[in-house]
Amino acid sequence: MNTNNRIARLAINEEGFVFDPQTGESFTVNQTGKVILKALMRSDSEESIILQLTEQFALSPQEAQADVRDFIHHLRAYQLIY
Amino acid sequence: MDDIFVAVTGINASDNPAPGIGVARSLKEYTSLNFKIAGLAYDAMEPGIYMDWLIDKSFLIPYPAAGYKAIIERILYIKHTFGLDVIIPTLDSELPFYIKSRRELELHGIKTFLPSDEQFRLRSKEYITSIAAQSGLQAPKQAVVTSYKELVTAVQEIGLPVIVKGTLYKAYRAYSIEEAMSYFSKIVAEWGYPVIVQQAVNGEEINVIGVGDGAGNLSGRVAVKKMSVTELGKIWTGVTIHHPKLLEATQQFVATSRWQGAFEMECIVEQDKVYLIEINPRFPAWVYFATGVGVNLPVMLLKLALGENVESAEEYEAGKLYIRYTNEQICDMANFQNLVTRGES
Repeated sequence: MNTNNRIARLAINEEGFVFDPQTGESFTVNQTGKVILKALMRSDSEESIILQLTEQFALSPQEAQADVRDFIHHLRAYQLIY
Repeated sequence: MDDIFVAVTGINASDNPAPGIGVARSLKEYTSLNFKIAGLAYDAMEPGIYMDWLIDKSFLIPYPAAGYKAIIERILYIKHTFGLDVIIPTLDSELPFYIKSRRELELHGIKTFLPSDEQFRLRSKEYITSIAAQSGLQAPKQAVVTSYKELVTAVQEIGLPVIVKGTLYKAYRAYSIEEAMSYFSKIVAEWGYPVIVQQAVNGEEINVIGVGDGAGNLSGRVAVKKMSVTELGKIWTGVTIHHPKLLEATQQFVATSRWQGAFEMECIVEQDKVYLIEINPRFPAWVYFATGVGVNLPVMLLKLALGENVESAEEYEAGKLYIRYTNEQICDMANFQNLVTRGES
């Protein structure tokens, strides 16, 4: 998935605390969000992210896809992804 | 190692803090040079006078309105009794005097590192639009007004809400023409004409501070976002950031203006647009934040004043926090008595 530089520059720690060095904003994500965010920062494809979620959490592919799309929608709202 | 005698103004570390204590602390932490610091105060109750771990000796000085002769005489007295190699003025209202007097001070062996008269004039709020354009930034719409009639016209053209501000101090957000008129008269009564009416831009406030070497080079800079401010709008907590467009604009501002000395760029970021709101020709009160993240701007300025080469600062880390706190100090009455009776302590 194509992401802009801003998401690639986010700093994220193991507890899911995320810092945006461009704006100084910070927020927290849960375990699922952390996996999605890290995958997006690596520019992984949507299919790959869904696979990672189904492997790590008790989720069906449909649930994982809904989670990924919902999360990306939020990132767009915060202009971290165009 | 010889002592270097430095005078710093603005040592009023109150709820509306002046930059002097941040400057003094930055100098004292640089152990490669021995700084002896004179704190120049306007009032015997300025807290910096009593911070003897930062201020070696304090002197009361006349207000800028006292006139050229009175201030020069006081500075020369400090030079003869304490020693004075460099003076770092930190308050807006003092800068015109020090800029105009730099040659005279230099003749007495007192160095400064300040913007030129022309640079000082061009960065003023009236000219912010052209500086923004030169630096690749946006500028809010604004008008300089000197009467109610001009004010009303400006508000109608710019559109509400507007920021009504003085050329040196104070800024108020007005949501109606009546409110704008009230702020206009308040500013005029306190600070005189003209008054600036500016478009109120929404977004995140971010600031950059730095030092220009006068030859177009940026010796160092740090960008921060204010996370919380006091009721007076002063930073209480902040975080360092790396905003590429803003940092590039800072470089461009220094290169095109060949800025000499300290500066603070106040900007508002609204999505991809960066608006330049103001350029202050001095360090802000939170200058120690930069020192704390490894960019000691006061030392850079001091070395430039002494004619030394200054290498560009290394990159700082984004995500460093700044947290102010209050403190109390208990001290003997003697310092206060000396200040009041002798004008020094």
